[in-house]
Amino acid sequence: MVNPLYLIIISLLAGFVMPLLDKVNRKLSLATFMGVLLANTVIAGLWLRGFIQADLGVLSFSTAGFTAPLSINFQLGILEASILLAINFIGLFTAVYLAKKFAERAVAGMILFMMVILGANGLILTRDLFNAFVFMEILSISTIAIITLKRTNESLSSAFKYMLASGIASLFFLLGVVFIYFFSGSLNIDFININFTDYRLIAVYMVAIALLIELKMFPVNGWALDVYESTDAGIATIISVINSTAIAFMFYKIMPLLPNNFLYIFGIIGAVTYLMSNLMGLKQENAQRLLGYSSIGQMGLLLASIIFTAGLDPLIRLMIVGGFFLNHLIAKTGLFWISGLIKKDKLKDWSVLKNNKAIMIMFGAFIFALSGLPPFAGFWAKWEFIKTLIAGQNNFIIVLILLGSLFEVVYMFRWFVQSVKGENELSPVRIIDNVKVVLIILMATLAFGLGIILMNDVYSLNLMLVLPIIILLVMYVIDFLPAKIKGLLSLAALAYYGYYLYNVIQLENPIQIFFGVIFLVGSGINIISTLNRSDISKGFYGLLMMMIFSFGSLLIASSYIEFFFSWELMTIASFLLVLRGKNAQKAGLMYMIFSIAGAYLMMVGFGFAPDLMGDSALITSLSYVQLPLISIILLALGFMIKSGVLGVHVWLPEAHAEAEADVSSFISAILLKAGIWGFFLVAISVVWNRPQFDVYYWIGWLGVFTALVGAFLASFQEDAKRLLAYSSMSQVGYIIAAISMLSHLGWVSAFYLSLNHMMFKSALFIAIAGVYYRTHTRNMYEMGGLIKKMPLSFISVLISIIAVSGVPPLSGFGSKWLMYSSFIEKGWYLQAAVLFFASAVSFLYLYRLIHTIFLGQAKYEHKDVKEAPMWFIIPQYIFIGAIMVLSTFPNLLIRPLSGMASQYFNSNIIIDGYNIYSSYGHWNGNLIMLVTMGVFIVPLIFLMLFVGRITKVKQFNIVYAAERPESPQTTHVAHNMFAHYRKALGGWGKPRIWDFWNSSAEWTHTLGDLFRRIYSGNGQTYLLHIILFFVLVFFLGV
Amino acid sequence: MIETLVLGFILLLTGLYAMLSQKNIIKIILGFSIADTGVHIIIVSLGYLKGRRAPILDSAVNIANSVREVIDPIPSALVLTAIVIGLATTALMLVFAAEIYKRKASFSIDDYKELKW
Repeated sequence: MVNPLYLIIISLLAGFVMPLLDKVNRKLSLATFMGVLLANTVIAGLWLRGFIQADLGVLSFSTAGFTAPLSINFQLGILEASILLAINFIGLFTAVYLAKKFAERAVAGMILFMMVILGANGLILTRDLFNAFVFMEILSISTIAIITLKRTNESLSSAFKYMLASGIASLFFLLGVVFIYFFSGSLNIDFININFTDYRLIAVYMVAIALLIELKMFPVNGWALDVYESTDAGIATIISVINSTAIAFMFYKIMPLLPNNFLYIFGIIGAVTYLMSNLMGLKQENAQRLLGYSSIGQMGLLLASIIFTAGLDPLIRLMIVGGFFLNHLIAKTGLFWISGLIKKDKLKDWSVLKNNKAIMIMFGAFIFALSGLPPFAGFWAKWEFIKTLIAGQNNFIIVLILLGSLFEVVYMFRWFVQSVKGENELSPVRIIDNVKVVLIILMATLAFGLGIILMNDVYSLNLMLVLPIIILLVMYVIDFLPAKIKGLLSLAALAYYGYYLYNVIQLENPIQIFFGVIFLVGSGINIISTLNRSDISKGFYGLLMMMIFSFGSLLIASSYIEFFFSWELMTIASFLLVLRGKNAQKAGLMYMIFSIAGAYLMMVGFGFAPDLMGDSALITSLSYVQLPLISIILLALGFMIKSGVLGVHVWLPEAHAEAEADVSSFISAILLKAGIWGFFLVAISVVWNRPQFDVYYWIGWLGVFTALVGAFLASFQEDAKRLLAYSSMSQVGYIIAAISMLSHLGWVSAFYLSLNHMMFKSALFIAIAGVYYRTHTRNMYEMGGLIKKMPLSFISVLISIIAVSGVPPLSGFGSKWLMYSSFIEKGWYLQAAVLFFASAVSFLYLYRLIHTIFLGQAKYEHKDVKEAPMWFIIPQYIFIGAIMVLSTFPNLLIRPLSGMASQYFNSNIIIDGYNIYSSYGHWNGNLIMLVTMGVFIVPLIFLMLFVGRITKVKQFNIVYAAERPESPQTTHVAHNMFAHYRKALGGWGKPRIWDFWNSSAEWTHTLGDLFRRIYSGNGQTYLLHIILFFVLVFFLGV
Repeated sequence: MIETLVLGFILLLTGLYAMLSQKNIIKIILGFSIADTGVHIIIVSLGYLKGRRAPILDSAVNIANSVREVIDPIPSALVLTAIVIGLATTALMLVFAAEIYKRKASFSIDDYKELKW
């Protein structure tokens, strides 16, 4: 194979020849330039192939006829070959990306670009420290010179600042290298065999600090941000990806020379850099500067991962460091390229992308990749990294990294959401540069390809778990079909999927089947309501099916990573679904941020959890492990965020209200249950291995207060969907409280409540969707009198709210009865009392649904309103039918539920015929139903027979005394109906949680803003940072 | 040799001080150059061994015994490269200085902070 020295030689030769060729013809020099870059890539590729095919070990190439340490030598192993290939590849395609610019400018541009690549290649290959200094100088000088390819005042002055910083760094490096030589007698990394522990430490310290400065660690990176902001997007790619990679690898090479305590500090510096640059990124408005902040953060993460994975199994280390590296490389290249394509500085102007779906999808893919979401490499790397940090007891680092990661998610997704949904007056960009588009597509393909390789070859996820992604792609292919056909196809696919899960995979545990019914059958019926869509509904069914299939994956996941993977897929799908809503900008963002925060808690929780035995589904294997307390708390919190427990519920009403009408029912009725399912899995692990500290007692209280607060908040809403959202929150509170009892009766009632809630909340949301579809308003006080116009919807709402409220004869009564019995049995009397109160409060909001929407005077503008479309009515009545059947024959349901719970607890309910006995009484649903029906029907018949004439009052049969109020609806009792209760609650009625989250967000942003002031823009200040950094870190280490 | 080593460090620190305290870009570049020179002197003095000859193998040096007669040649070789690189760096800095002066007619570094935060 070609001697890697040619990577240097060819570029050098070309550098001398190109000016001559350029005199002849620009095309000649351009072709030479591209040829060299291509040759470099091919050489690196051939070597990598060689290393993969045969175990060549690590090869050494010497120069000048001597071997090391007498001469400079290059080392080439599989690691070097892969990195060389990666950066030469990016170099080649960035050159293609910039080709037009190179063709216009002086030949020096091309030569400089080539020198950047040369410097990076040399830096990666060389084992000689002084040689490394030379390559580093080649790299920085040519990088700095090429920054001014875009000739603006800003790029010139920022290049000058870069020059100053890099000048100081190279002085440090040079001094350090010479002192290393002086102390050890060698310049070759492999032959330096003394410990730099005493005063000699300063030598390696100077080298390391120089590299940290070149790596742009916090806070010595102000100049780099200016450069990122001012230079051409293509050049920014080179700096962010190629330049940084070479230097990071150099740092990796000198790591064996550094004492451990310093390595630890450098690792912390990396993590702090990640945190701080993402914190400061929050306040950015300029796209390229934001990408700069993110690049710097990613380098910090890379540094931290290199250091904290030392000593790990090489494959895992490769997974982590390589994952972060490639993820950054691909995603950042893609983002910078998009930035150069659309040429908009301000983040909010990126909404010009709105009309350019292809670019938008790729933009989204890169953002998802950077945020560490599956299937991209960053997801797997982050997972393994957190596990490693936990094993190494570096909990403090985890906090830094996850917090930094969260900030990154905030600004990245804010940017994404703004671009997708933002208002813009700018005319959409017409993308004329097809080469750039193709290149960006190439990067996106790489990102996906890499993720798929990891998914298949490293984690060998089975097809079932990958199905959500596959269905998304399949639905995208058939996206041109009308919505109804896609909906029916989805139903068919779902039916087959359910059959497959039930019959072929054969779920091990009845609880899986039960949740399968909630997830899959529930979704199936809900899909019927989406058939009302008359347009094409681009992308809708793909996302919907992706979400539903991920529910299925959650059921069968057999390891933490599989579960977490499916969980994140579900999050992605549901986020994008919510985002489809018309005004869902804020709602979508909040949903995503809370979901990701919850996911991080879960990730750490899983990291602390002991390994599972066997490959059965989590529901089985989890019951045999003893989760440590921290794991239980973090996991439970993570799942409770998804189900909207008090305190972290703020995303819930927004997402429910702003999602499209037929999506809200999925979110409320089914998605929240995914959180319950997860919460339930954690509880299973606790049944036989109770922790010392009775954490479930407190979680139970949390559930109780969620139920209470949710009910109050629901009563004060004017928006019907918001009301239902808060009602869901309240119901979830009951379920959480019931699960927390960790008793047979408690769990039976939790199951019962879950199924019930799925049915009546679906029916209610679909009913409201129908009302909204006809009246185009969600404000209840703007409705009224719809009973005559929409009688079917009225009946379904009526039955549903009876089911919710827990009065006989409907199933809600059964669940409440079971629940109170279980509370009493458990001895949680106070909790039961509070819940009882919450139930009473729930009558308030339930009454409003009937009163304000359906009773009273119809509004004039609704005079022509018709019944909701059939597609809304059918699913409602399926649910209503099911509720009626289960209410009449409760033992149909109670028997299996009792069986499910008795796997974990001794059963203490007896079912005898239609009677269900618990230790606190018995319930005969059938009898109650008959009696109630009798009580209802007899007076009805009486009234119909014996009450004679009924005087009908026409609408608007009212005379106002004086003026007509401006908006008459608000004077009606239906508006702000429970104002007196709100008043009675005093300060407690105020949504304090909102204040908390709002002010947290504000404080964080202010803090970020405060910190970024250190980047004053003055080159001298940056120098001062460097000097102070140099001194401070040294004393920290000593 | 300890005196030149100290001299080197004095130059290095002087140069750094100049870079931090001077507002004029040309003076900052001079500061860098001074610091750079300081580093070069440090390198040379680290390789110097008292009472020995320059590492040039001519008739004055006994080839067989040269290891004990000449100073360590490596720092001397290194410093040549370092000087060249320092020259290139300084030259590029001066080019930038000239170029930005053309645009804003100011050499004060305080005038070039359009980009910040």
